Amino acid sequence: MTQTRIPVQFILNGKKTAVDILPEQSALQVIRDELGMKGTKEGCGIGECGACTIEVNGQAVNACLMFGVQLDGCRVMTVEGLAEDGRLHPVQEKFLAGHAVQCGFCTPGLLMSTHALLGENPEPDDHQIVQAISGNICRCTGYQQIFSSVRAACGQSDQGSVRENQDSKEERC
Amino acid sequence: MSNDRYHTVGKSILRRGAKERLTGNPIFCADMEPENALYLKAVRSRHPHAGILGIDVSSAMSVPGVVQVFTAKDIPGKNLMGIINKDQPLLAEDKVRSLADPVALVAARTPGAADLAAAAVSVDYDPLPAVFDPEEAMAQDAPQIHAKGNVMVQKKVCRGDVTAAFDKAHTIIEKTYRTSAIEHTYLEPDAGIGFPDEDGTLVIYASTQNPHYDHKEVVSLLGVEDHAVRIIQAATGGGFGSKLDMNVQGFIGLALYHLKQPVRYVYTREEAFLATAKRHPFVIHMKTGADETGRITAMQMKAVCNTGAYGSYGIAVASRAAVHATGPYAIDNVNLECTAVYTNHPFCGAMRGFGTPQMALAHESQMDLHARALNMDPLEIRVLNGVKKGTVTATGQVLTDSVGFQDCLTAVQPEYEKAMKGWLSEPTPAYIRRGVGIGGMWYGIGNTGVQNPSTARVAMDREGQVTLFTGCADIGQGSTTVLSQIAGEALGLDAMDIHVVVADTKYTTNAGATSASRQTYISGNAVKQAADKLADVLLTEAVNYLKIRKSDLRLENGRVFDSRHPEKQVAFSRLAPRILDKGGELSWQGYFDPETVPLHPDTGEGIPYSTYAFACHAACVEVDVLTGETSVCRVIAAHDVGKAIHPENVIGQICGGVAMGVGFALMEEFVPGETISMNDYHIPTAADMPCVIPIIVEASEPSGPFGAKGVGEPALIPTAPAIINAVTHALGKRIYALPASLERVLDASIASGHFNNCYQES
Ligand code: FES
Ligand code: FES
Repeated sequence: MTQTRIPVQFILNGKKTAVDILPEQSALQVIRDELGMKGTKEGCGIGECGACTIEVNGQAVNACLMFGVQLDGCRVMTVEGLAEDGRLHPVQEKFLAGHAVQCGFCTPGLLMSTHALLGENPEPDDHQIVQAISGNICRCTGYQQIFSSVRAACGQSDQGSVRENQDSKEERC
Repeated sequence: MSNDRYHTVGKSILRRGAKERLTGNPIFCADMEPENALYLKAVRSRHPHAGILGIDVSSAMSVPGVVQVFTAKDIPGKNLMGIINKDQPLLAEDKVRSLADPVALVAARTPGAADLAAAAVSVDYDPLPAVFDPEEAMAQDAPQIHAKGNVMVQKKVCRGDVTAAFDKAHTIIEKTYRTSAIEHTYLEPDAGIGFPDEDGTLVIYASTQNPHYDHKEVVSLLGVEDHAVRIIQAATGGGFGSKLDMNVQGFIGLALYHLKQPVRYVYTREEAFLATAKRHPFVIHMKTGADETGRITAMQMKAVCNTGAYGSYGIAVASRAAVHATGPYAIDNVNLECTAVYTNHPFCGAMRGFGTPQMALAHESQMDLHARALNMDPLEIRVLNGVKKGTVTATGQVLTDSVGFQDCLTAVQPEYEKAMKGWLSEPTPAYIRRGVGIGGMWYGIGNTGVQNPSTARVAMDREGQVTLFTGCADIGQGSTTVLSQIAGEALGLDAMDIHVVVADTKYTTNAGATSASRQTYISGNAVKQAADKLADVLLTEAVNYLKIRKSDLRLENGRVFDSRHPEKQVAFSRLAPRILDKGGELSWQGYFDPETVPLHPDTGEGIPYSTYAFACHAACVEVDVLTGETSVCRVIAAHDVGKAIHPENVIGQICGGVAMGVGFALMEEFVPGETISMNDYHIPTAADMPCVIPIIVEASEPSGPFGAKGVGEPALIPTAPAIINAVTHALGKRIYALPASLERVLDASIASGHFNNCYQES
């Protein structure tokens, strides 16, 4: 009993990629199981945790909620696409220096949310940062060192914390 | 102690293993795919309580792709697990005690086949009456869950004369508190893989907090020799206590034993929710008496906690709850009792704090109630009652060193006063009420009144390269980095220059569980002892080589030098072969077991821990009196950690603990049968987080490595009580049950009249 597979083509981390997939496979399954790239994590499979966040055409999406066939013709980026020639991407550098990694299971998703945010908006304010990362659950860090690292990646001071910045945002509105 | 005198201790060096995580390396079990691995799937009970009359696996076996279906009779060794009391079968034999109980295990070539076959296993159940409420389960005629009866354990601590003290008390306050079951929700669902290696050893990679315990347990399940099983801790995506139990390890061991073929088992989030431990829900009846100055003179506490179908760490939870009931306060007359009861609830086990967070809700609420009754400031009443050097605890232990509770209170005071004076009086919309609350805590480091040693090995090779071997599982808290710093400090090396071999039962020796906030203190000491021994051998050889007396020699950057004439020096790489050629030893074992005295079974008298961590949090909240929404704006969190070996790691623990405390206080509740997935269980996101102001207090612990104690669990404990006290402050009405959900806060708002006042105005 062989199921019909569907050919899909997309640009993955800058490289043309062609793969035959099952119609019911999620983008996450395509990336992890068909392409064997394990950087993107599965924490819930139902769009609640953000561990599977990838970038599709510049937007951060939950790969577990997307069908693999929807990747066809898209520009896709996963955590493996961040570092170049063994050199960490500046966002990764800031996470490292900012002690934003504990168990690290949320890290790839958070990096991709941050990368997508900076692609859309190189100078996000604190409220926009919180918005951008609030779909990514982290059970270890309490987000404060992550938040400071994202700030640092945007070229802002790495001081400050989530709520103060929400407050200052509220005051500004 | 200033960090200047240290080479690497006290410095926030880059974390070991962070790069692999940042680049998405396949280091978690779910990322590993041994070739031709079979997929495992447990068949779980359909009843919370039922006898098993028979299991028919024939139709499951005929599902294409199925290789084997195992039941209890396939377990060659002892079909019982549990780190403290062995009461939990890997696969159910004659009965199931909760919906999570596994009755059979399928091994199949594809995940789809495994699922189909699991559904096709037919079990003939004889349903039994079930009981979920622990107080009901204590009744004479309650359904019996285990043959020994439903009361698993009762722990008592008594001292002084409670009755006389209550008679003399000026104010007596008696209340009942309730807390919810909590799901750990570590981000990585439990997972493991296994394969037989060339010599037939069954190798299991697991997401675990205690690989050496897993090893013992798998060996006992399979009835094989120690060397037949090797457990390696894979990268572990958080644990918080739940990965102290055997989750997939036993299943993998069983399938490997029979099939001699690679296998993998990755829980879905739903299975992780269903099948793994929860935080014990508590009902706490607490009565305290104070004199007219606000000094608490007596406490009576009776708690019942629901351990569900199995014990797991329940006994430790009960004894820790009893010992910690007084909070960090000197109370001379106490009568404390905690009972852990079996029910048909999914089993409860260890979760960050082992009953202490539940107890803190009670003692911190009582503190505020007494303060209010006597018109005292909440901080003032804590200063008055707070433990100090010389305080005798409820178990009769005299606190002699590293008692930093008062320092923590002092540390939060400026921010607390600013909030009370300035922030509270800032104008807010009419429907928002602000409140400020305090929470204090103490936490004994390590296991309660029992031996819990750690071992470690530090070895140097001929070239002078140092390797640290430790069985300590780093589950994200950063222990590998901290232990390397401790070894590095003893040897004058950068932490990163030390190779590490971590949590692999073939090469490492037992370091005990990554739990009870014990690894920095206990494994840290074991590592330090091993490294000190190696350092001493190097120094002794350097005396020979340099002809300079030992007391003038120092170790730094891979060499030994004369502190008075630094140019007189010799590299480790020169010393190592000289030592080896003389038949000397360059591989040293360290061992540390904190000094404790077992608690007396009737009075609880003894020395449960050799040191305690202390903390105080102040929380600033805003409550929307019309919706019941509470938003935590700020948490000032002062922690006495003895010595912060890695300050940014400590801050990471504090902030992470506060986040978990926010969840415990306001939103988290696991309801069996209703909480199925992350859809139904919400934990704090970045948008829910307050600004956390961590303050590190260092009341050096003489028996700790460089003065260190621990911080992992303490980080969470004071947050929820501080938030509840702040919500009470905002509304003038107290909430006695966690979580303080929208509904509960709204009820309090209505009961306090704020809802009506505001509603009528608008
Ligand atoms: S795995 Fe996709 S959101 Fe959790
Ligand atoms: S670091 Fe563990 S979940 Fe974020």
